[in-house]
Amino acid sequence: MTELTFPAVLRRGLPRARYIALAVRLAAAAAIAIYALTTPGFLTLLSANALFTAISFVGCVAVGMTFITLTGNIMSLAIGATVSASALIFLACLSLGILPAILVALLFGVVITGAQGFLVGHLRANPILVSVAALSLLLGGAAFVTGGHHIYPSGAGLEIFKDRFAGIPIDAWCFFTTVAVGQFILSWTRIGRLMTMVGSNVRAATAAGVSTTATVTAAYVIAGACASISGILLAARYGSGDMEIGVGYDYTAIAAVLVGGTGIAGGSGSTLRTLVGVIVISVIEVVLLLRGFSEQLQYLITGLLVLCVIMLHTLGERR
Amino acid sequence: MPVLAIDGVTKRFGPNAVLKDVSLALDAHEVRAVCGENGAGKSTLVKVITGLYAPDEGAVCVDGTPVVITSPQHAQELGIALVAQELSLAPALSVLDNIWLGNRKVPLLHRRQELRARARAALDKLGLNDLALDTPASALSIGRRQLVEIARMLTRDARVFILDEPTATLSDVEIERIFAALRALKAEGKSVIYITHRLGEVFEICDSVSVLRNGDLVGTRRTNEIDRGTLMQMMLGRSLGEMYPAWESSPGDPMLMVKDLHVPPLVRGFDLTAERGTVTCLAGQVGSGAITVLRALAGLTPGASGEASISGKPMRLRTVARAQAADVKFISEDRAGEGIFLRLTVGQNLIATKLKDHTAFGLLARRGLRATAASLAAAVGVDRKRLHSPADELSGGNQQKLAFGRWIGGDRPGVLLMNEPTRGVDVGARAEIYRLIRQFCDRGYCVVMASSDIEEVLGMADVVVSMYRGRQVARYRRGETDMQRILADITHPAAA
Repeated sequence: MTELTFPAVLRRGLPRARYIALAVRLAAAAAIAIYALTTPGFLTLLSANALFTAISFVGCVAVGMTFITLTGNIMSLAIGATVSASALIFLACLSLGILPAILVALLFGVVITGAQGFLVGHLRANPILVSVAALSLLLGGAAFVTGGHHIYPSGAGLEIFKDRFAGIPIDAWCFFTTVAVGQFILSWTRIGRLMTMVGSNVRAATAAGVSTTATVTAAYVIAGACASISGILLAARYGSGDMEIGVGYDYTAIAAVLVGGTGIAGGSGSTLRTLVGVIVISVIEVVLLLRGFSEQLQYLITGLLVLCVIMLHTLGERR
Repeated sequence: MPVLAIDGVTKRFGPNAVLKDVSLALDAHEVRAVCGENGAGKSTLVKVITGLYAPDEGAVCVDGTPVVITSPQHAQELGIALVAQELSLAPALSVLDNIWLGNRKVPLLHRRQELRARARAALDKLGLNDLALDTPASALSIGRRQLVEIARMLTRDARVFILDEPTATLSDVEIERIFAALRALKAEGKSVIYITHRLGEVFEICDSVSVLRNGDLVGTRRTNEIDRGTLMQMMLGRSLGEMYPAWESSPGDPMLMVKDLHVPPLVRGFDLTAERGTVTCLAGQVGSGAITVLRALAGLTPGASGEASISGKPMRLRTVARAQAADVKFISEDRAGEGIFLRLTVGQNLIATKLKDHTAFGLLARRGLRATAASLAAAVGVDRKRLHSPADELSGGNQQKLAFGRWIGGDRPGVLLMNEPTRGVDVGARAEIYRLIRQFCDRGYCVVMASSDIEEVLGMADVVVSMYRGRQVARYRRGETDMQRILADITHPAAA
C-alpha cells in the first residue's frame, strides 16, 4: 500500500524538497565555479577586475528590480529604457556640471519609475501592463527629443568614473554600495519591512493598516534610482549614449533576481541574494564568451538557466 | 456487501499520525455523516478515499475488493466522486458543457441531442427542472453550482458522492435544495459521505454518523439511536461546559456607537451600541450582514457610509488608517487571505502592527522588536521556539492566536472587532481563544464579534444582536435568550 508512483510523489510535494533545492543549488554553484576556473582567460579577467566592471551596470538594475519583485509586482519592463534615458539625460546635462547632471538623471529615474509604482500601488493596476505603457512612453519620448541620434557629452569630468579605489573600479564600488544600501533598507528600516509584508500578502497588509500606495511607490522609487545609477555609470564608461544602451537589462536583471533566490511571488528576497544571482549569471555569460559560444547560444543558455531555477523554486516551496 | 469500505487505514505525516486505524463501511442507499472538529482527520480521510494520499497502513475496498487508488481520476473511474468545496465549474461555459467537460467517455463524434437529454435527466433528478442547459455557470448561485457538479458526477455513473461541508456558505433555501438532491441520490441507490460541522444537518439528512477525533474513529452510530448531546460528547470528548470561561458581566459606558450604517447592497441603516468591557455578538448566517458591518467599521469597505464614534469621538469610515488611529482593531474572517501573513514567520506576524513603536528616524530597533515578538508569543500561548517558523506551518488555532497577538499591547484599550474568530480552529485552541477574548474585555476593551456559531454566541456574549439580511432582528442581554430563539431569529425572523 505504501508504494507510490512517481507522479504521485511529485504531486504530494517532496518532504525534503527544500534540502534538495539547496543541494542542487550548491552543486550548480560548484560546477559553475570549476567550469569558470578551468576556462582559459577567466583568471586574467578576475585579476584585471574586468569582471567587476562588467557586472556593475546590470547589477545596479538587478538590485532595484529586487524591490519590485519583493513587493509582489514581478518586474518592470521599462527599466532597461529608463537606464538608457537616464544615460542620455546625464550626458545632456553634463554642461551644468557633473553633480547637477547626476542629480537630474537620478531625479528622472525616480520620477518616471515612482509614477509607475504609484499607479500599481494605489490603483492596484497590473504592474506588467503599467511598465509596458511606461516603456512605450519612454521610447517615444526619447525618439521625439533626440531624433534617434547618439548623444555625446557636452562637458568633461568623466575621468573620475574610470578611476579605481583600493584597486577596484569605481563602477564596482557603486554597485556594491547599492547592494549594501538595499540590504540595509530591507533589514533595518521600517519601510523595508513593510515592503516584505505587502509583497507577502497585500490584503493582510492592508488589514494591518499598511499603506500599500506609499510602500509600493517607495519600492519603485528605489528601482528607478538604481536604474539611473546604472545609466550614469554606462554613460560615463562609454562616453556616449543612445536608447539602445540599456536594452535587455530588465531581462538580465530579473533573471539575476530569480537565480539569486528572491521569490517571484513576492514577500521574500534580499539584495545579497541578487548579488549572488548577478555574479552567477555574469560568470556564465563571460565563460561562454571566452569559450567561444555565439551570442545567440549565450541567450539560450541563460534562458534555460532561469527556467531551471524557477522550476527548482516551485519544487522547494511546495509542501 | 458495502459499496465502499475503509479498512484499518493509518496515515502519517512525519511522526504525526493524522488517521489511526480508521475503519468504516458504506452501503448503498446510505447517507453517512462524518463529523469531527477541525484537525480531527476528516479532510485526510477524504484525500485517502479520493486517491490524493496513499494510506501508510490499511486499505480502501470498493465492492469488497481492495484497490490502490492512485489519483482523483482513478477514484472517479471506480465510481467515487468528490463534490469539491472550492467549486470546479468553468464559469464561462454553459451548464451542459460543464456537465460533460472532461468526460472521457464522450467520443469526439457524438450526438449533441443525446448529451442534452442525458444532462437534462441528471438535472431533473436533482430537482433542477427549471434550469436551462444553456445557462452560463457564472449566472448560477453557489448552491446551484454544487448541484450542477453533482449532476456532472451522476452522468459519470458515480456511486459514492463525497460532499465536504457543502452548506457552509449557502442560504436556507439552497441548503434545502441540496438536501432534496441528496434524498434523490439516496433513492437512486447511491451512497453519500457527508462531511459537516453542523449537527442539525446530521440528524436531518443522514442515516448514520461516524465521528473522528484526533485521527481516531470514536465510533459509528445510527442517527435515530443517538441525540445531539451524545454526538457532541463524542466529537469533543468532553462536555461543553469547560469550553467557555466563566465571568461576571460588568457593562461599562457605551464605547462604540454606530448610527445609520449603510454598506450597499446588503446593510441599510444599521445601528449598534457596544459597551466597554463587554462582548457583543452579532449572530447571523452567511448573508446576514454581520461580517459586512464589522468589515466596514474596520475601514475595509470603500462603499460604506454612516456615522460611527469611539468613546464619543467621531470616526471616519472607509480607511484602515483612520480606524486604527481610533484604536479599532480588526481580526478578519479570512485568516489565510487577510488575517495573517502565511508566508512570513511567526515573529514577523506578531510584530506586524508594532513596527511604528520600534522605529526611530525610519530605522528599526531590532532588539526591541525581537523582545516584543517573544512576549506576544508568550501572551497568546505560542511556543517561543516557533518564532522563526513560517506561519503556514502552524495549526489553524495557533494561526488565529497570531492574529490576536498583534493587537495586544498599546496604552489605551480600544475596540476589538472579530469576524468568525474560531472558524477552522480546533477544540483545544478554541477554548484558549475564548480566554484571550475575555482578557481583552478585562483590560477594558469593547469587543464586538460576528459569528454564525450559535453555541459560541451564547457561550461568549454579554449582548447578542441577531441579524437577518442586513438588519437587526433583536437584541438580548446575557441570559435573556436561548438557542432556539436565536436560531429562529437568524433563519426565519417573525418580523421579516
